[in-house]
Amino acid sequence: MNFGFNDDQLALAATVRDVLRTHCPPGSLRSERRPAWEQLAGLGFFGLLLPEAADGLGLALVDVLPALEETGRACLPGPVVETAVVAPYLLADVPKLASGAVCVGVLPPGQAYAADADLADLLIVVRDGGARVIPRRDVRLAPRRGVDPCRPLFEVTFSRSEPLPVPVGPALARATVATAAQLVGLARELLSVTVGYARVRTQFGAPIGSFQAVKHQLADVAVAVEFAAPLVYRAALTVESDSGDRDASAAKAAAGEVATLAARVALQIHGAIGYTEELDLRFWLARAWSLSAAYGTTAAHRERLRTAITGRRP
Amino acid sequence: MDLDFSPAERAFRLEVRDWLARHRPPPLPSMDTAEGFAAHRAWEAELAAARLSAVSWPEEYGGRGASLIDWLIFEEEYWAAGCPARVTQNGIFLLAPSLMRYGTPEQRERHLPRMAGGDDVWAQAWSEPEAGSDLAALTSRAEPCPGGWRLYGHKTWSSRAAFATHGFGLFRTSGARHKGLTYFMFPMAGVAVRPIAQLDGLPGFAELRFDGVFTPDSMVLGEVGEGWRIAMATTSSERGLTLRSPGRFLATADRLAELARDADPALADRAARCRIEAEAYQLHTFGTARRLMAGEELGPAASMGKIFWSELDLRMHALALDLLGDRAESWVDGFLFSLAGPIYAGTNEIQRNIVAERVLGLPR
Repeated sequence: MNFGFNDDQLALAATVRDVLRTHCPPGSLRSERRPAWEQLAGLGFFGLLLPEAADGLGLALVDVLPALEETGRACLPGPVVETAVVAPYLLADVPKLASGAVCVGVLPPGQAYAADADLADLLIVVRDGGARVIPRRDVRLAPRRGVDPCRPLFEVTFSRSEPLPVPVGPALARATVATAAQLVGLARELLSVTVGYARVRTQFGAPIGSFQAVKHQLADVAVAVEFAAPLVYRAALTVESDSGDRDASAAKAAAGEVATLAARVALQIHGAIGYTEELDLRFWLARAWSLSAAYGTTAAHRERLRTAITGRRP
Repeated sequence: MDLDFSPAERAFRLEVRDWLARHRPPPLPSMDTAEGFAAHRAWEAELAAARLSAVSWPEEYGGRGASLIDWLIFEEEYWAAGCPARVTQNGIFLLAPSLMRYGTPEQRERHLPRMAGGDDVWAQAWSEPEAGSDLAALTSRAEPCPGGWRLYGHKTWSSRAAFATHGFGLFRTSGARHKGLTYFMFPMAGVAVRPIAQLDGLPGFAELRFDGVFTPDSMVLGEVGEGWRIAMATTSSERGLTLRSPGRFLATADRLAELARDADPALADRAARCRIEAEAYQLHTFGTARRLMAGEELGPAASMGKIFWSELDLRMHALALDLLGDRAESWVDGFLFSLAGPIYAGTNEIQRNIVAERVLGLPR
């Protein structure tokens, strides 16, 4: 029993964090479609989970979890989870994945539109329990409105496609856990930014963070983050076991709720300035909403948990 | 990172499970009655005979020198087996950590084995009518006399004090707000005890009046004037790991999931959520145990756990009442107890202030 990250896992996260601070600052979210991708690729980020035979490092999901949290903390745009986590399990024999030269999109089951499909060189579409892979030239995309300006949605039609002869469940479970890790990172950033604002914004001659009504909301977010994160860590450890799907659902539901709570409290405490397009906060709010719906909504994962825990059929 | 137990830990779990299956008592009468108090003490003595009453204590005091992980395993098995709440908990989980850390060897040898065996049952005497959440405002005082101290004042809401043999708490030894407090242990003989019925009508609380109660020098814990610091270390234990291990909440969540099997989906959903939250607390505690075993202090982070487990416990019992309506018999006691969770060990309002100021760094 050693329920904590080791130095290598934390060092990887620290490296990713530094790169994202430099190359994916909040300002870049306004002007660039895919900031920091080149630099992440340079670090080998997209090969972390690929087997060594495919020029990867052959790491396990738990090894990269803190690094994935950092991509959430930075609100990094682009199909990060799809390219760095799903592709290594479904498309490991595609050349140039490790170098980050191939960008992958995913349309998961139960979702109408594919996020970031405009950036994808290859699109994986999962339908009826099986997956098909489609190169960009065979895909037609129609933009559809979503909640997140940096995570655009597209309706997908395609002419030709190749079936993927591997089961997609395990890869989707990993994507769910990875997205949950991003949501935890988002929540941590929302909390941190809001605490910082509450310390400097004054009203009635005092920082608003000295008011108990404000303190207690932030304390509730801190507690929620503190207790959601271990569910995500466990899910990364058990993803290949019998309880993998159940634990992934627990992680995703908890992380989705904590990120949307953190977003709600962040907006409330920032007040009217938070409700403007000018403040960078808007990007994190939108990402909390969009990722909490990705790879299964919170409600869908809760329903799975209900079935697993009480034995009820939905 | 892993969630694997070692072969020795798995063997310990099986030993505990087997022992509890053979020795688990039938449901005991409430420990807040004379009859129930005696029955609980007998159960504590039986646990102690198997050296299971305080497994993480050193062997010389009646424990097994077990790790925190072993203790968590013991707790999971204890509550899963449906064993009773611990009448010794104020002593074992609140006083003992302070005795281990600040007590003299003589104090430890004198008190800990008797505490582990249920021979002495300790009540806490923190609160006063005008000093609950604002504990440092307390006015009960201790005056030096030949050989020891005389205690004066008025303490209240003292759990299990109606039947306890000993008490511990803070008394003022000088005027300074925090530095003027000293940590005393005292025998209950000589203290005027007035039982106070709790919401269930039983004398779970008591009011204590001290009119020059003598306690010898050997019952001062730590230095005179150091009581606040020692008490804060104790309350960190209380809010954190030692009083509320995850085993209790996991066992409650399991009973709840069973209860919700045929319930409507909205209620079943709440039950499933409770189970996952109990698991979140369990996992978080494994992480905390790892840090404590590496020598880190729990500190103000204990407040986060206190908020989480007390509100989870309340949600679980409120859901049981929603599921059962007025047939809530076996859940009523737990429900009433869960209502106390956000109040005792420092109200959750105070805990949120601690998290905001000392974890998040917001201004006072």
